[in-house]
Amino acid sequence: MNRHTWYRTYRPYISPMDPCPPIKVKRYSTPPNLFVGFQPPGLEQFPALAALKAGTLWKCFYDPYYSLKELKRGSENETASP
Amino acid sequence: MKQLPPEYYSELEEIQAADFVIVELALYLHTHPDDLDAIKQYNEYVKLSKSLKKAFERKYGALTSFGYSFARCPFDYKEAPWPWQV
Repeated sequence: MNRHTWYRTYRPYISPMDPCPPIKVKRYSTPPNLFVGFQPPGLEQFPALAALKAGTLWKCFYDPYYSLKELKRGSENETASP
Repeated sequence: MKQLPPEYYSELEEIQAADFVIVELALYLHTHPDDLDAIKQYNEYVKLSKSLKKAFERKYGALTSFGYSFARCPFDYKEAPWPWQV
């Protein structure tokens, strides 16, 4: 699954009484750790300093929750490491 | 007020990275107690963290007090910079 497409979206109900400008499409991330279940041993790891920045030791669990701007900009250069 | 040398920050980041790996592996080992590679890596990083801290504390003073680090004379643990000022 491509990194940029693990976001799922939904459309909240927008009330006419809503005081603020409505957010039509809400987005949430479904990172890999939701689907892995019991973590298999021997997964590929980040080096220590990169792990500190990434927030996880294992590459497959890295989920930076890119904002929409970063997603658009990032789609040209796939930046895997933090 | 003495300014900290730049390598203070890089050495501190090394320690933080080593400790982060230790935390991650410890949590992993809670659910995978017999994963030998992870245990080896964990012990390797504990050794690394101890040596990094020892070298760091010899240069810049105690990282922790209340018995986790040796004190210097005069006792300078209370001196600036405090952790949030670094």
